[in-house]
Amino acid sequence: MRRIVDVSIPLGPIHPCFKEPARIKCETSGERVLAVEVELGYMKKGIERIMRGRPWQEVMFLAERVCGICSVIHNMVFIEGMEAISGISPAPRAALLRVVANELDRIQSHLLANFSYCYTIEHETLAMYLLDLREQVMDLLERLTGARVTCAYIVPGGVRFDLRDEDAALIRAGLAEVTRASARYTRIFETGPLIGLRSRGVGILTAKAARESHAVGPTARGSGISEDLRLRHPTYQQIGFSPVVRSEGDCFARVMVRFQEVQESIGIIGRCLDALVQGPIRAGGVCGAGKVSYSGEAPRGELSYLITTDEAGRVIDIAIQTPSIMNIEVCAHRMIPGVTSLADVTATFVSADPCIACTER
Amino acid sequence: MGILQNVKNAVRQRSIHVAYVDVGSCNGCDIEILACLAPRYDIEQYGIYVHNNPREADILLVIGAYTPGWADRLLPLWEKIPDPKVAIAIGNCPISGCLFARPGTLIHPPVAAHIPISAEVPGCPPRPTEILQAVLALAPEVFRDYEVRVL
Repeated sequence: MRRIVDVSIPLGPIHPCFKEPARIKCETSGERVLAVEVELGYMKKGIERIMRGRPWQEVMFLAERVCGICSVIHNMVFIEGMEAISGISPAPRAALLRVVANELDRIQSHLLANFSYCYTIEHETLAMYLLDLREQVMDLLERLTGARVTCAYIVPGGVRFDLRDEDAALIRAGLAEVTRASARYTRIFETGPLIGLRSRGVGILTAKAARESHAVGPTARGSGISEDLRLRHPTYQQIGFSPVVRSEGDCFARVMVRFQEVQESIGIIGRCLDALVQGPIRAGGVCGAGKVSYSGEAPRGELSYLITTDEAGRVIDIAIQTPSIMNIEVCAHRMIPGVTSLADVTATFVSADPCIACTER
Repeated sequence: MGILQNVKNAVRQRSIHVAYVDVGSCNGCDIEILACLAPRYDIEQYGIYVHNNPREADILLVIGAYTPGWADRLLPLWEKIPDPKVAIAIGNCPISGCLFARPGTLIHPPVAAHIPISAEVPGCPPRPTEILQAVLALAPEVFRDYEVRVL
């Protein structure tokens, strides 16, 4: 049905606020945005098509290139899915090192998401602080895995490199610095009057709407839904943590959830390094035939892989569900309609931390 | 060549506007370009501003392996950039397609087949320092003797 609106304004695909191409079509009446439609399709590479029929050794590199921001969790979920198929259990030391790598990746992803949000609401000072802090976390990730972005750290049965004691000490010292800085930036964000005006009460997603529309990750936790797949992961159960939940459901809550999760992740890494046992970092095993659906908590929410392999360890069929597609639709249908200004459309969209690359693959 | 031209050459290389366009990457190179903005690398100290607006850009950073969604969009975008302009391919994807150039893929690398590329920075992804180095290497060349060359 055609609707008559005042103006239909397209934002994107090239837009100063967006890291990646996506087009948001806004139907407006005056400044008020009545409805939006997110148009995707600029990034479709067909990764799942390429993966089919290839050995897992190749698919693991393709899997971490589904998303360049949260590459460690894609690597982890695919490899742990392959381990579940083949009955391999990781070496105890390696299981802890995986969590360290994953949480470092989560910290840098959350800092980048909060940088994007602050940049979008034009608070460039805080944005640059956060981007600088992210570089420090990237250094620690590089210290642990040997690469900044696509590290391929996790392999079946274990991890690729061991962590030396002096590097563990360096990570601890680095994280102590990150804790101090991130606490300061959280306070700046929490108390900034202009930030509050742009963030509090903007883009509200109620708990009911979040549940109905299946929001995931920090977006859901910012609306009072206590759902975190890390609670079901054996290593996280051993280390112990509590998910961060806020009840406001606005842009402010979503960004604050990420800030608080950074602190939570630093705690998890500290406890992992404390619990680190001596021993081998690789366990034996051969990847075999089977079918599994395996999920993990990516920085943006629930990430699921449905993998079917044959006896040689080749991937016959694979389907990936990434968290961003849920949050983008939630954003388009529940958060943005009703915002009072066009400037809030981009801010609300970025507050849900959409990752177009992993949405379209 | 007059003294005025020399002054222009010297001044203009410190005022470069950059736009980046992602034509189907994994996002890894995008965030490495964003990292160039960070105070550690501080691309703006060289007079290079990342505005991401093609209409005021001098340098276009192309990331990604050219997906079908960009087939009728990248060239019009390139034509919207005012002269003089250069394009830099960032990462392996625009050069060769990297891991995605396999049977069954939807991508059409290289990007150089679609728009003229002046420099390539290989890597998956390249480090921010390498991206910075490529932009700095081209910055003096974009406007050099532009009036003499064209008019």
